[in-house]
Amino acid sequence: MLRQASRARLFKEYKEVQREKSADPDIQLVCDDSNIFKWTALIKGPSETPYDGGVFQLAFSVPEQYPLQPPQVRFLTKIFHPNVHFKTGEICLDILKNAWSPAWTLQSVCRAIIALMAHPEADSPLNCDSGNLLRSGDIRGYQSMARMYTRLAAMPKKG
Amino acid sequence: MESDGDMYEDSDVESAGDDFYGDGDASDGVSDADDDDFIGNDPDDSDDLCAKKNYVVLSDDDIRRLMDDDISKVFSVLSISKIEASALLRRYNWSVSKVHEEWFADESKVREAIGLKINNKIIQSPELNSVICVICFEDYSSDGILASACGHPFCVECWRGYISNSLSDGSGCLNLRCPEPSCKVAVTQDMIDLLASDVDKKKYYGFLFRSYVEQNRKIKWCPAPGCNFAVEFDIGSDNCDVMCNCSHCFCWNCTDEAHRPVNCETVRKWKEKNRAESENTNWILAYTKPCPKCKRPIEKNEGCMRMTCRDPCKYQFCWLCLNSWSTHGYNPCNKYKPETEDEKKKEMARQSIVKYTHYYERWAANEKSRRKAVEDLRRMDEVNVKELSKLQRIPETQLKFILDAWNQIVECRRVLKWTYAYGFYFPNEEQTKRRFFEYLQGQAETGLERLHHCAEKELEIYLNVEESDSKAFYDFRRKLTGLTSVTKNYFENLVRALENGLEDVDSLNAK
Ligand SMILES: [Zn+2]
Ligand SMILES: [Zn+2]
Ligand SMILES: [Zn+2]
Ligand SMILES: [Zn+2]
Repeated sequence: MLRQASRARLFKEYKEVQREKSADPDIQLVCDDSNIFKWTALIKGPSETPYDGGVFQLAFSVPEQYPLQPPQVRFLTKIFHPNVHFKTGEICLDILKNAWSPAWTLQSVCRAIIALMAHPEADSPLNCDSGNLLRSGDIRGYQSMARMYTRLAAMPKKG
Repeated sequence: MESDGDMYEDSDVESAGDDFYGDGDASDGVSDADDDDFIGNDPDDSDDLCAKKNYVVLSDDDIRRLMDDDISKVFSVLSISKIEASALLRRYNWSVSKVHEEWFADESKVREAIGLKINNKIIQSPELNSVICVICFEDYSSDGILASACGHPFCVECWRGYISNSLSDGSGCLNLRCPEPSCKVAVTQDMIDLLASDVDKKKYYGFLFRSYVEQNRKIKWCPAPGCNFAVEFDIGSDNCDVMCNCSHCFCWNCTDEAHRPVNCETVRKWKEKNRAESENTNWILAYTKPCPKCKRPIEKNEGCMRMTCRDPCKYQFCWLCLNSWSTHGYNPCNKYKPETEDEKKKEMARQSIVKYTHYYERWAANEKSRRKAVEDLRRMDEVNVKELSKLQRIPETQLKFILDAWNQIVECRRVLKWTYAYGFYFPNEEQTKRRFFEYLQGQAETGLERLHHCAEKELEIYLNVEESDSKAFYDFRRKLTGLTSVTKNYFENLVRALENGLEDVDSLNAK
């Protein structure tokens, strides 16, 4: 029953994504061919951030209680960011936890993650190194590390 | 009987406070404490340390009544709905005065904070006849749609899912907001009533009911396992010991067991110390010790500290200091004696363990004894009083003095126990005060041992006779009633004196 409702909702999101494909050039959401509860997304690193020029892959795992419960999202692409676990790609973002609303969509979650990349929260770090750099005011140190990983992991290899 | 009259007068060397309590009943001994008639006298309800009138024990129904009263007070004064009043009260920890204060200071700010709005027209685009529910993305004609006070529309099915999902998450459902991410408007009780299943409604009202106690500054649940009573306390009164209707006594401030005359901080320190030292002191909690004379293990299964070894040894000794009862008698062994000079040099670390062990053993022994007394009290109440009533041909109502005695023993064991934590932390420099404290503690211990012995061992005689001897029983009753009353007075004075930090000693010294 629940599964039915979330399947219907995900199907609507799927159709919406197909229609809007060109509408948000920074986000490309793709549903798994065989499983509507598995999605991936490619998001562009926001400009004027150390992630600019990178393309980051996210993996979505949608629960059967969706949209009453939030999807699980993690970065597949390595990223140096205070609110992203460096090894697992786990993301610390309130709307993916207690501030979730069923009116959010996978698309709007992607938008929220792009916003998080531009505005890191040093006070709830999943990546302590990165959080410490920011909290100690070493913005340049943080930026150069983040840029380095963007170049290493999120940019197509040259040549 | 005669020998009991001087229970607080046969002081030993340190008699600094011999007449400290001389003005009270305590030193009058047993004799005039029982001027009542044997027949038809119902001893007045004992006003023990635990039962001063600065708190009220609340049942489920009492709590519901208080909650309704508070809601009524708010909705009649502010002329808002009961539902809004309840949301307001929850926001301000169920404080009626706080709600009034905030509301009259800035009503719109308060409304905003709680998410109470006035209009509730459904927001829809004027050119469309249908509304899209942004949870399921389906089109609905306006009658399949519901909104909270903000007007954000969702379909009935999505509302139901949203509400039941939040209820499965716990008490957070009391602060449920509109599903629209940018909207702060509350989902109020009327929506729950309309949309939740019966099971969920029950859950919701359960959370609401518990929030009344848990957010209320003046009310706490009784911490006894399985107890459903709560206690409302007069904040600001200094005696924090309360007794629940389940008979559990606890400190309202820290919700640990009742612990007068020591304060909450001392209890915390002491318990932490006990945890840290538990490896060294586990043996103290053992129920058996070898008899000091015949060395056979003897089990402590009685409440008082006066032990008698089995036949044929029959050696009598004090459980705590292991000295023979013939020399020990009712002389206290509560004083801690630091070892002599040269031994002191041996090892300071050992010394501190020895000191701690002295106090811990006595603290633990009194706790054990208190627990035993609680069991005994229950047995007295359920079995022995009935038997005795038959044997002595006295109505049960007139045997209440036995239960009074046992209640007093339970309470005194607890107080005495905590005086050992008090003693452990007593500043070493204050020699005079320490001696005086130990004197008072020793007297308390002696008095309590007498009472405990009388209620435990002497009572047994009357439970095991075939033929009743009403004169002897009458004397026993006089003695036990007297001991109960004297001990009660003595302990009340003791608690007060210790809580005052024995300030009277300063004035005694000044003389
Ligand atoms: Zn709303
Ligand atoms: Zn819907
Ligand atoms: Zn209770
Ligand atoms: Zn306390």
